[in-house]
Amino acid sequence: MPLAGSLDIRPLVDGSPEVVLDEDAALRVDDVDILQVLYEVRVADRESLVPPALNPTIPPVISFLVYRAKESAFGPFALAQLRLTARSGVRPRAYLISARCDNPALSALLARSWGFRVTPGDIALRRFHDRVDCTVSESPPGVSGLTRTILDVSLVDPVPVTGHDVQYPPGMHLARIARDGVLIPRIVQVDSEYEFRRADRGRPSLNSFDASAWGDDRLVPDIAVSASFAACDMTIAHVRYICNPDIPASEGTEKVSDK
Amino acid sequence: MEFGLFMELSVPRPWTADSERQVYENALEQVRLADELGFDYIWAVEHHFLEEYSHCSAPDIFLSAAATMTKRIRVGHGVVACVPQYQSPIRVAERAAVLDIISGGRLELGTGRSATWPELSGFGANPDDTKKTWDEFVRVIPKMWMQERFAWNGRMFSMPERAILPKPLQKPHPPMWVAVTSPGTEIDAADRGLGCLGLSPGGFADSEKKVLNYRKHIETCDPVGAFVNDKVLTVNFLSCCEDGDLGRRNGLKVASMFSYMAAQLLSAKEVLPTHSYPSEGLLPALRRESGSPGDAAKAFKGVTMGTPDDVADAITAWENVGFDGINFIHQFMEVVPQQYVLDSMRLFAEEVMPRFKTRDGTARRPIPVSVGAAAGAGGA
Repeated sequence: MPLAGSLDIRPLVDGSPEVVLDEDAALRVDDVDILQVLYEVRVADRESLVPPALNPTIPPVISFLVYRAKESAFGPFALAQLRLTARSGVRPRAYLISARCDNPALSALLARSWGFRVTPGDIALRRFHDRVDCTVSESPPGVSGLTRTILDVSLVDPVPVTGHDVQYPPGMHLARIARDGVLIPRIVQVDSEYEFRRADRGRPSLNSFDASAWGDDRLVPDIAVSASFAACDMTIAHVRYICNPDIPASEGTEKVSDK
Repeated sequence: MEFGLFMELSVPRPWTADSERQVYENALEQVRLADELGFDYIWAVEHHFLEEYSHCSAPDIFLSAAATMTKRIRVGHGVVACVPQYQSPIRVAERAAVLDIISGGRLELGTGRSATWPELSGFGANPDDTKKTWDEFVRVIPKMWMQERFAWNGRMFSMPERAILPKPLQKPHPPMWVAVTSPGTEIDAADRGLGCLGLSPGGFADSEKKVLNYRKHIETCDPVGAFVNDKVLTVNFLSCCEDGDLGRRNGLKVASMFSYMAAQLLSAKEVLPTHSYPSEGLLPALRRESGSPGDAAKAFKGVTMGTPDDVADAITAWENVGFDGINFIHQFMEVVPQQYVLDSMRLFAEEVMPRFKTRDGTARRPIPVSVGAAAGAGGA
């Protein structure tokens, strides 16, 4: 039978963002660089990686998805996400484990409008002729003046591909939404559109990754899958679908906007 | 119209010591019945590592068993993964020839290249190369069959002169096919004079375009074998029942389960930016036509489910699109009882099949295309 998620979301709900559904919420950013690096993870209990609303994939694959923009309505920013491939019924999705962002104002918007589980982090994305390097570092909770690297990943030997060849499935973000004055857990589906200007692919190279810092120490990378680096204009659309994390998305999906 | 059955040999969890044997025995019982009832083809897929979805990793062995218990039905070895990390083309030619002999000359060889990440990465195959390796496999296999001794110095495969044995019973060689899911692969099939083995249930408009493309290109093909196999088959879900509601309900069970299980597999396209896989394989059509996660199968137009009249109407629609036949997925993950599957096959054969066959029992064929290049095709 289809594999169904069995992740116990209760420990995660309290720390999840409070989302305010707003049909006018949309974020357009021009000239965004996007690095995506994929690795298979070897986990004995695949089902326990995603909530019951979602289905794990065979095999489970994590993606490091990093955006960098030199300008936006909120100024320059970089956003690094750790996502896990998943399905909502038959549809490809990516379940967000956590994210880091170096722009506090944008972070607040991403959390409030789309349920990004985002905390502050320093993100360096450097493009060289023959590689793209990314490091993400943060200050451990309760420790000031000290930073630790939680991700050091690269794309090596880029070769051109087309934007059609690169895929970023919609994100599924665990969040809380107010209903009748009570906050209830919901998974927010985050749809983004990309207009590609350029895309490369290359070999992934992972130098360090602190799975625990990102939120799930079971996500240990095993087999390198792919890496891509693209330049595009990007729009994160307003939320149209949410789903109950405790039941299959085929039964628990709710359309919250016709726009 | 010709009719076949597709055997995925899916094995649902929980697995017991007996689960796989039971699935194989049920499938062989269906094969025996299909032969008696007049189905034209039985196809067995080749998949590896696709837990639950398909435990059919040695289809030639399954088909050998099927061949020995049947007399008339064509034995479809397909599709064989034409990827050298899976198997050498020599082994494909040898094993297919054995199967042709055992079946008394009833082999149909389907060719393909895998589309899932678990399979390709499991064998360490480079997804960028599979189109090239497939192209070379389909060019060398008929030569291996027809030439007493064969040597090759190619881009993806080379070998010194050797006698590849045995030779198939069918002369000059068994018909060859190509699995078609990605857009444009129907043209690859036509250009090489190969049959078009549709694996992706899609809408009428897309299908008609594919058939027209195929018919147009095959008129000027350069066959890789000694003759042109100019047939176009599609795939559908079969559930035929006097109680139309039950027929649709059971058919949707099969279709939905198929969609869900296929969807869980990571496609090569999904995780690897590559030109080599322009589509994600089996599911895009179902995904496109569904409005919510649960109704993929319901939205697939032209499903061959329901009463015999419902099924016949759907087949007529596909016949009008231009297909020469339909291969049916009639069971998946054992979601419907074996007895229902057998009854559905019997009812289909009694009530529906005769409407699409000529009086002598042969398939009604569309107007044949003129293929001048076929006569000149040779092995060397």
